[in-house]
Amino acid sequence: MTKDAEYAIEVVKLTKRYGDLAAVNDISFTVSKGEVFALLGPNGAGKTTTVEIISTIRTPTSGKLMLLGMDVTRQKSGIVPRIGVLPQGFSSFDRLTVRETIQYYSRLFGTNTDIDGLIELVNIKDKAKVQYKKLSGGLRQRLGIAIALVNDPEVVFLDEPTTGLDPRARREVWEVLQGLKNRGKTVFLTTHYMEEAELLADTVAIISKGKIIAKGSPGELIENNTNYLVLTLRCADNKAFEIVRKMGFEPVLNGNKEIRIRMEHKDDVQKILNAITDAGALYLGLDVRKPNLEEVFLKLTGEALLSDPVVERGVV
Amino acid sequence: MNLRVVGANLIVKLKCVWREKTTMFFTIAFPIILILVFGTIFMSQDNVGFHLCVQDLDQTTLSAKAIATLERDGKFKITRVDPAANVNQYVRENKVDLVMIIPRGLESSIVQNVTRKDPKAFVTITYIYDPSSSSVLTKIQILNAVLAGINQKLSGKSPVIRSAETSILTRKYRFIEFFVPGIIAMAVMSLSLFGTVNLNTELRQKGIIRKLSTTPITRTDWILSDILYQFTLAVGSTIAMLLVSYIVFDVRLNLDAWLPAFILLDVFAFVGIGMILTRFAREAQSAAAAANAVSFPMMFLSGSFFPVELMPGFLQTIAKILPLYYVNEGLRSAMVFEDDMAALRAAAVIGAFAAVVFILGIMATKWEEGQ
Repeated sequence: MTKDAEYAIEVVKLTKRYGDLAAVNDISFTVSKGEVFALLGPNGAGKTTTVEIISTIRTPTSGKLMLLGMDVTRQKSGIVPRIGVLPQGFSSFDRLTVRETIQYYSRLFGTNTDIDGLIELVNIKDKAKVQYKKLSGGLRQRLGIAIALVNDPEVVFLDEPTTGLDPRARREVWEVLQGLKNRGKTVFLTTHYMEEAELLADTVAIISKGKIIAKGSPGELIENNTNYLVLTLRCADNKAFEIVRKMGFEPVLNGNKEIRIRMEHKDDVQKILNAITDAGALYLGLDVRKPNLEEVFLKLTGEALLSDPVVERGVV
Repeated sequence: MNLRVVGANLIVKLKCVWREKTTMFFTIAFPIILILVFGTIFMSQDNVGFHLCVQDLDQTTLSAKAIATLERDGKFKITRVDPAANVNQYVRENKVDLVMIIPRGLESSIVQNVTRKDPKAFVTITYIYDPSSSSVLTKIQILNAVLAGINQKLSGKSPVIRSAETSILTRKYRFIEFFVPGIIAMAVMSLSLFGTVNLNTELRQKGIIRKLSTTPITRTDWILSDILYQFTLAVGSTIAMLLVSYIVFDVRLNLDAWLPAFILLDVFAFVGIGMILTRFAREAQSAAAAANAVSFPMMFLSGSFFPVELMPGFLQTIAKILPLYYVNEGLRSAMVFEDDMAALRAAAVIGAFAAVVFILGIMATKWEEGQ
């Protein structure tokens, strides 16, 4: 029944309703073994509901769910020992130390966990004897990841593992997740950070209002959904802005000194730079890049992933 | 049931409470405070002495002797009222509830009656009292009994009907010794009920229950570990209560296997109720309120503080449907009356109740967040 399932996860027509509201609305997708799969979407899109249903925390209203070849709704006891879960807003016993917490969860699974190895994997060796309540947010999340691995699971579910962390702590968690990826674990990740999905995921599914609206590798998603480049110029004055506007582009002024220009052809970059130089205007720096997942999301849904001003500025 | 999982949970809970010094302190301090407060109240009831004001208008040797008899036999603390005082005014001004007036002519009337055999010679003792006082009727009853004794002695005849008192207990127990088992039952109930409700709502709010739902732990393992945990705390606080009542009030009770058995049944019943309350009260505050709503009637109606026999009939009927009543009865049967059969009957009732509540508790406990 469980041997050699083609996919680690298979979701067919999954729906979860709360009264009239469909938190997850008829979604289908597959996750291959050994891949890092990211479910990307804004808050309230249905990410957590989806991951909690697949990881046996919630029950679906309808749909078929197979995990490692087992039916999630009927074979929970067979599934639980083979998965590891970091739930959203993970928390643990305040008064237990890092080592004791890992030991406790290891006992629940009855496994001979290499506790020191796990502590090292998530890089919290110097905090092994510190009680949970004294850990920072980033350390708590790393401990949560270690706990999700006590039973050496085949599939690891991480529900928003870096939400609420500062950029540095976020990067440290990413390093741990890269380590998981290198170990060949199947990882199911939910996030609303485009950068996180882009950096870690082999496959990204974009979810909005309970529906999956696009799926593919980050490169494919960008390639298939955008056909432009973004040129950013740092200028000393606003002469360049006027020149570009007169060329027929629609530059966006970001602050006083930064202009962002969307263009469809690579050649336009050179044309713009030449026009500025010829007019005797100056630019102090430049950057040409492809659109990111944030822009893909905006194009597909008409709304931003985050109401974070830093991210909004990134959208031209 | 998985003993490894139950053991792991028990260890974690004990470690956490041991390191949480405030919780640890109140777990031990709460029952000790109860013992000290109620012990002090009950000890003073054992040595109860009423206050009595006496106005001796006779001022003779015999009237002085009568007052001394009241002091000795009636255990009254006597205040003498000036013979010149207006007693009605005295009662009002000094806020006393009773003044006994020994009239002039007490000695001469007694002498005439006893030595000259004149049955028409008598004397009337007057009580001036405030009927709003709750203890005044008891005092008058005691006074009448003492006076009847004096009359009987003066008559020179030996009493025809006599009484003898034989306690059913092998030794004389004081009031507090009946109450220590009640306080143990009540304290164990409070610890188990509030402990379960507080711990489980906290773990649910912190999302730990959600994480546990993705591990192999079952609801039965979880509740059993909770019961063992609460039982360990209950045994600890019971030992503290017994030690304090022995050291401070010299309370000696019969200690045998019934004591841990009733503590365990008490814990089983109230952890089960706690689990049910946790299921239905989503927030910590409403869960605590629900636990109060369960424990308060139980505390006051099931005979922990007041003997059930003192309550009106319908309240006695209610008491007998409360589980704590049977823990109280069982513990008293075992620790005071040393009556194994009565203890067994109480154990059967509370045991059946605990089994039902335990099963309902398992059914009510929910790992999954939604349907």
